[in-house]
Amino acid sequence: MADVKIEHLVKNYQPGVARDVLRDINLDIKEGDFVVFVGPSGCGKSTLLRAIAGLDDITSGDLFIGGRRMNEVPPVERGVGMVFQSYALYPHMTVRENLAFGLKIKKVDKQTARERVAQASAMLGLDPFLERKPKDLSGGQRQRVAIGRALVQHPAVFLLDEPLSNLDAALRVKTRIELARMHEERGSTTIYVTHDQVEAMTLATRIAVLSPLAEGAATNLEQFGPPLDLYHEPANRFVAGFIGSPKMNFLGGMIEAPDARRTRIKLDTGVSITAGVDTSRAHPGDQVEVGVRPEHTVLLDDPRADNRITGTVLVAEHLGAETFIYLDVGGKDFTVKVRPETPGTARSQFDIGVPTDACYLFDAQGQAFPRTERFTRT
Amino acid sequence: MAMVQAKSIIYRKLAAHAFLWAWLALIIFPLLMVIAISFRTGNFAVGDIIPSHPTLDHWRLALGMSIVDESGRTIPPPFPVLLWLWNSIKVASVSAVLIVALSTTCAYAFARLRFGGRSLLLKAMLVFQMFPAVLALVAYYALFSRISDYFPPLGLNTHPGLIFAYLGGIALHVWTIKGYFETIDKSLEESATLDGASPWQAFRLILLPLSVPILAVVFILAFITAITEYPVASILLQDESKLTLAVGSQYYLNPQEYKWGDFAAAAVLSGFPITLVFLLAQRWLVGGLTAGGVKG
Repeated sequence: MADVKIEHLVKNYQPGVARDVLRDINLDIKEGDFVVFVGPSGCGKSTLLRAIAGLDDITSGDLFIGGRRMNEVPPVERGVGMVFQSYALYPHMTVRENLAFGLKIKKVDKQTARERVAQASAMLGLDPFLERKPKDLSGGQRQRVAIGRALVQHPAVFLLDEPLSNLDAALRVKTRIELARMHEERGSTTIYVTHDQVEAMTLATRIAVLSPLAEGAATNLEQFGPPLDLYHEPANRFVAGFIGSPKMNFLGGMIEAPDARRTRIKLDTGVSITAGVDTSRAHPGDQVEVGVRPEHTVLLDDPRADNRITGTVLVAEHLGAETFIYLDVGGKDFTVKVRPETPGTARSQFDIGVPTDACYLFDAQGQAFPRTERFTRT
Repeated sequence: MAMVQAKSIIYRKLAAHAFLWAWLALIIFPLLMVIAISFRTGNFAVGDIIPSHPTLDHWRLALGMSIVDESGRTIPPPFPVLLWLWNSIKVASVSAVLIVALSTTCAYAFARLRFGGRSLLLKAMLVFQMFPAVLALVAYYALFSRISDYFPPLGLNTHPGLIFAYLGGIALHVWTIKGYFETIDKSLEESATLDGASPWQAFRLILLPLSVPILAVVFILAFITAITEYPVASILLQDESKLTLAVGSQYYLNPQEYKWGDFAAAAVLSGFPITLVFLLAQRWLVGGLTAGGVKG
């Protein structure tokens, strides 16, 4: 086990020609952390993982694993085990040979190797398949072989590159829980890459949100913190839009009067609302965007319905346990989560209440204003 | 289960079969003719497809046995055909093995390593390969005669020299194998690297075992090319005892007398090693070796 420290890491495949893939990444991953790199495709999350593994070199900046600077250290000496998105099982070897390959290469003595393979195989339930070739296994079994192959190495840091993306929905949930349990038991430092924010929220002790590097941006690490911090206090509009499902709704507006506790905002639709945010650094008339999570909206009969937003119903989805209504508010999509029995007739008008403490506010650059209140659903 | 098909498709299928049989007959006919000639009395190119007076004389001569002609004279075999055949097999096998070794490592470099001038080299190889070897015959002769001055074992009139010359023709094989390597997921080798394998180990233990089918194809192609090659071998080899069968069998066809019968027997003989290599290599020509390694 080891901690991983990344300082001012920059990755560029063709320095001077192409744009940076990663810029000024700083991460301090503690021993036993389960860190998830999440972001849309093209944000460099896999590249960052490969840089940690040593499969890609680092253009500038430093990488430390267990306190040792690893920039020029070959992959095998970094003490990392990796599960590839494609699994990358050796097709011509049996499951047992796949598991034992690394130990054989490293000339680990036969007895120890046998024990470690047996241990991993028992833990992952692979015993019945040890003599089979990968092609005779199901997707989930291959997945487990890939995990087992990393496990037998007793890595200090466990790296997983979108390990669930090739599994069907049911198996994905099952494996997700198994991974969480495995981390609970072994407590090994784990770095996990995914584009699925649900996986990130459920598995991570801390999440690093990455975005595709924008022109002139200082870094593409948007925020690094515990899942609920990212949910409640997103640093910017990108993180706010990425974390949470369904996505946060955004409406354009203008600050009427800056305030350190509660700010009046005039929306583009003409309605004014009150948001529980500290806007003391802003000026009257500043363009802003108000964010509201679908699950933080309430019906008008709720005492917390401080603000009222009106839209036209596009579609209503009745899922039994909950109902989502998709609205058109002044030309923008606005999703609300309401009580299951709420009717929603297409093309009809629909009023929804937005509590003051449910509002997020972002300036023209997308940076969040600090929230002074936190909405809790009772 | 068989799909239900319209009547017209059945007729079209029959027509396709008839066409294929006719095509097959057209291709096999010359081979049958050569076999017929090798069993026919006398040394004539034209005659019946099924010999009216079959004889084994041509085959006896080819296999190194004397024959007795109608006037009672004993005719010894004029040329060491079996020795030529052995020379051919030797040259073809060794050059095929070396070509596979060279083009595999070369293809690995082109497929997986990044180095300056990579794509230029690849294209240049292909372009140079497009000039027929015949154009370079004079250069071959000059080069190998110079090599003879300094290092005779690799010079003119030696089998190693000839093999050395054949090793020049690997560009197409490099392209073939490179194309195959590129279909193998790179993450397999990356995974091996993380497991502690050196690049050579990743190549030998992971990539090579998965590439056996394409290596078999290249081996067969290289073997056939070497065993049937005439121009370069005819320039580089001079002693009768050193000739390959492709070159030597031409001796039957001198301007004074075209011994078609003897030539045909030698020609059929040269087909045997190719057939044998193909049959042996066939078991390696299997698909699906990489199945199950990646994706779900």
